[in-house]
Amino acid sequence: MVEITQLDSMPKASVRAADGTAAAAALGLDFGSSEQRDDTLVVRIRPDEWYLLGDGAPAMAAGLDLSGFASTVDTSHSRTAVRITGDRAADTLAKLGSADFSDHMTPNGASMGIGIAGVTCDIVRDDQHGVRSYLLLLDGSFVTYFLGVLHDAASEF
Amino acid sequence: MLLVPCPHCGPMNAGDLTYNGESHRRPDPKTCTPEEWRTYLYLRENPSGWLLENWYCSSGCRKHFKIERHTFTGELRAPVLPGRKPGATQGDMK
Repeated sequence: MVEITQLDSMPKASVRAADGTAAAAALGLDFGSSEQRDDTLVVRIRPDEWYLLGDGAPAMAAGLDLSGFASTVDTSHSRTAVRITGDRAADTLAKLGSADFSDHMTPNGASMGIGIAGVTCDIVRDDQHGVRSYLLLLDGSFVTYFLGVLHDAASEF
Repeated sequence: MLLVPCPHCGPMNAGDLTYNGESHRRPDPKTCTPEEWRTYLYLRENPSGWLLENWYCSSGCRKHFKIERHTFTGELRAPVLPGRKPGATQGDMK
């Protein structure tokens, strides 16, 4: 079984920070990984970009030292989050994208950017209570199409 | 499916990247001749063999990089970020 949920109200912030800046040091993490810090999921989605996801994201972004080449943008309303949870969640995504969703390549906490059904998505594996789960972030204008495609792909499961 | 090894993301489906064509150096517009500028704009080598190309990892790390591709066999090797020499920091990733 696969459960698909659109998370409209999730606060989201993007942080761009160059190597050596205070913001990059504070957020840390390796490229392609994530970490839950209190009520904020911190994701290093690109070599110089982090996502802050969750209720604590605005406060965490506001508290960063943005000296040097560093900036934050509130993406709560431009990016939509969709969560897909279930034992067959990876099989569903594998039908629509070319990433390797096996535990070996993308364990819990891994993040990546790929195209899913032709839509550029940032994906974070964020298991919920031991059940495989992925958080997908995409441009909000694609979400109607995207949910339809996801439901079609998941229907066999 | 063509797997393109991004220096940051590793092997990526070519559909997740953007091909930006043959890599070649832009001449200085203040000192070059019209012929040199026309050559830069319109003429390409188009060899049957190894070619240095520009790619953009549009779905992944959103970085531009160069990579050598064999236009006959489709092999890819030595992806490199801008400002670095091919093979200087990356091994053969084909």
